[in-house]
Amino acid sequence: MVAERESGRLKEASQKRVLDEASRKRRARKALEALEQDNFHDDPHADLVMSKKVPKFQETLENKKKRSKRTQEWFKMRFRKNFAQLLEESRSYRPDSPNYQSALAPPSKLPDRHFCAVCGFPSSYTCVQCGARYCSVRCLGTHQDTRCLKWTA
Amino acid sequence: MSGKPFFVLDNGAYTLKLGKTSEEKPKLIPNAIMKAKSERRRLFVGSDIDECRDASGLYYILPFQKGYLINWDTEKTIWDHAFSKNCCPVSFPDTPLVFTEPLFNFQPLQEGANEIFFEEYDCCHLLRINSVDLSQIKYQSEHPDSKACLVIDCGYSFTHVVPYVLGKRKSDLIRRIEVGGKLLTNHLKDIISYRQLHVMDETYVMNQVKEDACFVAQEFMTSMAEAQRKGPANSILKEYVLPDFTSIRRGYLRDPKSEPEESVQLLRLNNERFSVPELLFHPSDIGLPQMGLAELIMHVINECQEDIQPHLLRNLVLTGGSTMFPGFEQRLMKDLRALAPCEYQIKITMPSDPIGYAWQGGKVLSTNAKALKEKFVSKQQYEEHGHTICAEKFDI
Repeated sequence: MVAERESGRLKEASQKRVLDEASRKRRARKALEALEQDNFHDDPHADLVMSKKVPKFQETLENKKKRSKRTQEWFKMRFRKNFAQLLEESRSYRPDSPNYQSALAPPSKLPDRHFCAVCGFPSSYTCVQCGARYCSVRCLGTHQDTRCLKWTA
Repeated sequence: MSGKPFFVLDNGAYTLKLGKTSEEKPKLIPNAIMKAKSERRRLFVGSDIDECRDASGLYYILPFQKGYLINWDTEKTIWDHAFSKNCCPVSFPDTPLVFTEPLFNFQPLQEGANEIFFEEYDCCHLLRINSVDLSQIKYQSEHPDSKACLVIDCGYSFTHVVPYVLGKRKSDLIRRIEVGGKLLTNHLKDIISYRQLHVMDETYVMNQVKEDACFVAQEFMTSMAEAQRKGPANSILKEYVLPDFTSIRRGYLRDPKSEPEESVQLLRLNNERFSVPELLFHPSDIGLPQMGLAELIMHVINECQEDIQPHLLRNLVLTGGSTMFPGFEQRLMKDLRALAPCEYQIKITMPSDPIGYAWQGGKVLSTNAKALKEKFVSKQQYEEHGHTICAEKFDI
């Protein structure tokens, strides 16, 4: 009797959890949003408590007189809208075509290119579980050991 | 030349370009407040960062988010520092100010700028304008015969393609790709951190790596194939010596050496060198559903009237720091040539200083005797009519 030919990779994969389309999209969106971040670490001065004993030096006496009419707190109050709020607001007073939304470039007509999530070279295969791309068995191993489903959004 | 010089502040999301128009070039100041691990209790505001000895793990406080001025208290601190005696002193009550804003700036932000410059800094005359408009003014002054022009502004937050016909901006045809220097640096950080060394905290250093090592591939797939080769057949593979801030202040690129050195920290850069700037030409490579630069330029040009199209193709101008990757201009030329009708001539202008190009436009403006009267709003007018007159006169 001839044993049926089968792919070890597929057999193994069928027993594992497979991420559905929605969560794959959510992960991709999260990854894109992360590219907008300013910092990935915490403020190094966050734990700093300014001691009251430290003398505060002032270069001239005039500085006191010249103090700005408006303090930093005032600025925080006056301009406290974040980007999402501004965008939402602009929809009402600038609803017609030339605006921030309408200026976004349309999707490309060219087909997507795919690159290995591990080494960055052109890839031909897709990870069955999470949909990431890989180019070789070696990269698949690295991917499964490090990223695949490790930080599910 | 009209008498008084202007003060031009090109308020970029990452770099302020500022100075009086009597100067030759603008002064560049980082538009950020930074905190260093090594020096606690000290904030590095703007150009202070040059005094920081150890720039590892810098923490950024940026006034801009997604290309728009959101954190005004941060920005005010940076401006105060920039206009101070030891940086770029200026007396606004008797110097007209040209201030740039991003395209499609939100109305509350525009009004905020009016308030701050007229009420806080006591400006005598203010002109708020797009940095892209200033670039166009500069281009027009260099090419007086051009009927139309297409400005490609590739900055820190995003990339804009802006067509002008007979000096007038075609606002409904402006298109934006959400790829800029910030995204590129973050992407480089991402892939290096995953592949070899954790550098997620090192935005400042990795930005320098990007500037020193990255280039735009002329034939992307050919370069990919070359990067896969070993030994001397691969001219792309390089080593980047990271700064240690004791003997090496800024990292540098070098050829890979066989004998390992213990003392320095290295990054091996291979396909990262060109796959990062490639995102400008193919944002879909990281899953951004947007056209690449060349495709988008042709898309915008095709939306214009047919008799204008050859004029636009002959007057393309590149501005912004992210156009400075080696090979950028040639690659754009190559891609456009493949897409544009062959009977049309294509000419791309790459200024010697793409970062200061818009500022130079402000300098051109100051030589126009009528500009002050026609375009600016005076403090008196603002006090009489408030935001209304600014909204009428300034076309953002």
